[in-house]
Amino acid sequence: MLQTIFYGLTIGGILYIISIGLSLTFGAMGIVNFSHGLIYAIGAYTIYAVMAKMGINFILGAVIAVLVSIPFSYIIEKYVIRRLYGESIDYAIIATYAVLLIGVDAIKWIWGASPLPISDPVGISIQFLTMEMPLYRLIIIGLTLLILIGLSLFFKKTIIGKIIIAGLGDREAVRGLGIRLDKYFAIIFILGSALAALGGVLYSPISTLHPYMGFHILILCFAVVIVGGMGNLRGTAIAAFSLGLVMAITGRIWGPAAEAMVYVVMAFVLMIRPIET
Amino acid sequence: MLLGKGRDGVILTVENLEVHYGRAKVLHNIAFKMDEGELVTIVGRNGSGKTTLLKTLGGFLKPSAGSILFRGQRIDGLGPENVALKGIRYVFQDKRVFGELTVKENIELAAYPIKENLEKAVQKVLSVYPRLEKFLHSKAKGLSGGERQILLIGRVLIGQPQLLLIDEPTEGLAAKIISEITAILLSMKGQFSMIVVEQNLATVARLADKIHIMKEGVMFKEITDPEMIRQPSQYENDL
Ligand SMILES: Nc1ncnc2c1ncn2[C@@H]1O[C@H](COP(=O)(O)OP(=O)(O)OP(=O)(O)O)[C@@H](O)[C@H]1O
Ligand SMILES: [Mg+2]
Repeated sequence: MLQTIFYGLTIGGILYIISIGLSLTFGAMGIVNFSHGLIYAIGAYTIYAVMAKMGINFILGAVIAVLVSIPFSYIIEKYVIRRLYGESIDYAIIATYAVLLIGVDAIKWIWGASPLPISDPVGISIQFLTMEMPLYRLIIIGLTLLILIGLSLFFKKTIIGKIIIAGLGDREAVRGLGIRLDKYFAIIFILGSALAALGGVLYSPISTLHPYMGFHILILCFAVVIVGGMGNLRGTAIAAFSLGLVMAITGRIWGPAAEAMVYVVMAFVLMIRPIET
Repeated sequence: MLLGKGRDGVILTVENLEVHYGRAKVLHNIAFKMDEGELVTIVGRNGSGKTTLLKTLGGFLKPSAGSILFRGQRIDGLGPENVALKGIRYVFQDKRVFGELTVKENIELAAYPIKENLEKAVQKVLSVYPRLEKFLHSKAKGLSGGERQILLIGRVLIGQPQLLLIDEPTEGLAAKIISEITAILLSMKGQFSMIVVEQNLATVARLADKIHIMKEGVMFKEITDPEMIRQPSQYENDL
């Protein structure tokens, strides 16, 4: 059981890292961003490429993968997201979905459609009480907690963070102070995307790469964002870890139901707390 | 003094202004001039277009026709950030503070884009209302309506404001607080050029140098006679 909880926290941590950008983009700009899934996949495929083809180690590879994602998210922000401000939400869904589809085809074209494995970069397990725990998973949990703390300090202490918090509540009032909010939202968009790429890197050794991996994670992350509340940073963290645990515990009882259970929880939350628009 | 700063002492010239929300035309052919240092009030019933006019002046809405000149330069269509950076400061209707931030951070956000020193900015706000000091580190959502409004009014005074646009500063507040806010606005009168939207005619009578009455999106009447301004009974039926 303890092991199940650890597995749940690992998945929860990764879901958190990926969901944060999605939640901020939705909360701040009212944009449902499907291309987030593509950035996640870019992170995963880049680490694969640099490790398998260039023999670079995992840590350096992770840094490279995150850096590689930045020009992509910059371009997506500048040419797609920025043009969607204030437009109807349907346009955002269609446009960012198109970006994701283009990306999926590009991945198939470059790497082929079959799944690719990445092995556990640490490869050791540690003994904890009665169970074996892969060290890599512990590192993920630790890293997630560091990111959680780092982000909350960022939003509490830096002027950029404060501007975003204010902008999440009242964009007009922030702009009325003479602050170019779009610029700050762009910074946050790129930061959130970089975290999605990192999520892709971290998740790849405990799953497999495939061209549709972005779709798959996106649906789970939407569940996290809906349960946690769009643009609600603390809610996103709590929802991610809770749903990670739901997945791990359900999976232990009956494997095939693990993800379905996430949507059951999401549906339940929507029933008691509908999305405010 | 402030007078004579702009060309012929005029700070704002609005000509033939038309504003739409989608297809609906909400402001029709608005035109007026305002002098430096003047306190202009806009009165009118709910839905007559007061906020729409103020938001257009503040750059939040783009007029479909007409022009807005600030000291001889066009500012219509510049966007709220650029208008704000020219020193035109806005207080929204409904006391919109940043609830998740502290009072001090609310001030910080106003000081930041104009590169004003934060401590100086805080002192400026406290000089308007010293009682805010004990709330500096509390979240602004905990403030009462009156305290929020005073924070917002104090905040537009940071740095070098040129023109203040204030939307319904006394709306929904208790009588005691209304008189406090009226006193604050009176103390600002003459130091700053101000446009104040206000439905409370007793307040209007104490503040205004000039009254514009709006009705269904047009400037229906202008009152400049000080004698008449002091007697709301003379114009309350025009609303
Ligand atoms: N965002 C909007 N979209 C469409 N119509 C709007 C919008 N905002 C205001 N209106 C309409 O424009 C007209 C003028 O509204 P406005 O808010 O300017 O009035 P107001 O004089 O400020 O009223 P109040 O005293 O209630 O604040 C009203 O008929 C209102 O219904
Ligand atoms: Mg109004």
